[in-house]
Amino acid sequence: MWRRKFRTFLTIFGIVIGIFAFTVMGSMALKLNRMIDGGKQYITGQISVSPKGSSYESVGGTLPVNTLNEISQVEGVKAVGATVSLTVEEQDLDNASFSMGPVPTIYGSDNQSEFKNRNWETMGMKEGKMLDKNSPDNEIAVGINIATDKKLGVGDTFNIRGRDFKVVGIVDKTMTGPDDYVFMNIAPAREMLIASNPFMKSLYDKGGLKLEDVNSMAGVSWKDGADSEVVSQKIKDQFGDQVSVMSPVKMGEMIDKASATMNSIILGSALLALIVGLFSIVNTMVMSISERTKEIGIKKALGASPRSIAWEYTLEAGVIGLLGGAIGLGLGVLAATILNNQMASKGGEIFLLEPNFLIGVVVFSFVIGIIAGVIPAIRASKLKVVDAIREL
Amino acid sequence: MGKTVAKATGIKKSYRMSKRNVVHALQGVDIEVKEGDFSAIVGPSGCGKSTLMHILGLLDRPDEGHLEIGGVDMSRLKEKKAYRMRAKKIGFIFQGFNLIPTLTAYENVLLAGKYGGQTISERKVRAKELLELLGLKDRMHHKPNELSGGQQQRVAIARALMNDPALILADEPTGELDSKTSLEIMDILKKLNREQNKTFLIVTHNMDVANACKKIIRLKDGKNAK
Repeated sequence: MWRRKFRTFLTIFGIVIGIFAFTVMGSMALKLNRMIDGGKQYITGQISVSPKGSSYESVGGTLPVNTLNEISQVEGVKAVGATVSLTVEEQDLDNASFSMGPVPTIYGSDNQSEFKNRNWETMGMKEGKMLDKNSPDNEIAVGINIATDKKLGVGDTFNIRGRDFKVVGIVDKTMTGPDDYVFMNIAPAREMLIASNPFMKSLYDKGGLKLEDVNSMAGVSWKDGADSEVVSQKIKDQFGDQVSVMSPVKMGEMIDKASATMNSIILGSALLALIVGLFSIVNTMVMSISERTKEIGIKKALGASPRSIAWEYTLEAGVIGLLGGAIGLGLGVLAATILNNQMASKGGEIFLLEPNFLIGVVVFSFVIGIIAGVIPAIRASKLKVVDAIREL
Repeated sequence: MGKTVAKATGIKKSYRMSKRNVVHALQGVDIEVKEGDFSAIVGPSGCGKSTLMHILGLLDRPDEGHLEIGGVDMSRLKEKKAYRMRAKKIGFIFQGFNLIPTLTAYENVLLAGKYGGQTISERKVRAKELLELLGLKDRMHHKPNELSGGQQQRVAIARALMNDPALILADEPTGELDSKTSLEIMDILKKLNREQNKTFLIVTHNMDVANACKKIIRLKDGKNAK
């Protein structure tokens, strides 16, 4: 009896680990997918133009205002909106820290431009208002994670890189990039970007760089009825030697491919843990049934039908799966919540706990138990009574 | 004499232990059990007593011969259907009690009722009645390992009676009990036979037990002995 209990405990523990891994990794995948979806929506809502040689949203050069003006003249282009982005905290490579999840980012945009991302025309606001054409340079709107982390409300002052800004709006939770953004006018963002880069700074001080030429990226919107791909191609044809052009469709495909690979890695490793758990239930049930051969024999002698025997032991395996699943899920949710709370102060949550997913996990663990139990249970139901009773 | 409960004629059964070693456990046994019988099957060990009991209890199939229980031909009965007959027509009492260790006395008895197709309320009433009848009223909710051998065997008797079977087969029912407890158990069986006209067939090699029976059937080398 004791041995059996201990073994059942070990099996449940195995399932707990499997389901724990599945819950945590699944929630991480969900969160990443949500972020990627948000990013995808954004990136497929505009043609993104960046300086040649730089990667997305990193500072590798600047887009001169003349180039942007010329791009706005390309056939099919509706408007061009320049943006400057840089991290909220000054980067200190001497004390670099690795952080998972998004980094708080300053997003300076040219609010005078007519440009609007087709998929994100306006941002929902939790409090206050978004910046507009008339916003002065010292006003900012912040994403929900920044507001929570720095305990900011509308009217508060937020010091970024030595400058004081007044918070006029807090953006609703988007579950993606903007949650960690500080929205401001492009001018102060440009100044901060120059200040952060000694090379740009000396060039600027000597008059070799104009403020308006400092643009880390630009979004291009197309006219209604124009084909985004055709417009992208035209920009590429004319300015391909100066800028990189990312067309919505191509970027969308690229993102899909990347997220599919990532999902299969994450879910694959979690599934592996589950398969180990599955075999451990099979093992336990086989052992448990061979240990209870006599008990099964008695039940059959008393007139138990093969079906009721099979059902009984299958259900037992299901319950083992369910129990392990419930505990594993609980631990997984607990771990994800604790990590989320800790991460929130370092740049955002990395787990998304979706009710549907969690319910699915519990059901799944029960089904796994049933699957693992069904073969040993059918074997049990076919035991010959005479042999079974003789044993022991 | 009452009507025939079980009738077996020319029963043969052999087991192939290995290629060259075939054990002819039964080589043409005839046996008839009538309602209200209280008979013992005796014989030296290896004479086929247990095999005969398994065949009469539908736990095993004969190779040859004819078997009737309650007037129904069982010789060709498939295992798929045997369990139903077993649940309703036959009660077993084993040497080693064979109670399910994780269930209480009460639950062990209930289980037989479940397999016999009784409703939950029927089962509960009957299990309580039987356990009371067998003097286990205050031990009902104990597990087998908390009961003495005699008490365990009484639980097994209650379980065997649960579906009011036509035939109760007892395989060495006193084999693991001391002589005083053995007498008690035999008295219970005799009383059930006398007062409720229950039909018993008891396999034993204990002559005291056999002599307490109304009729003795002797087996030797897989055949009826004179």
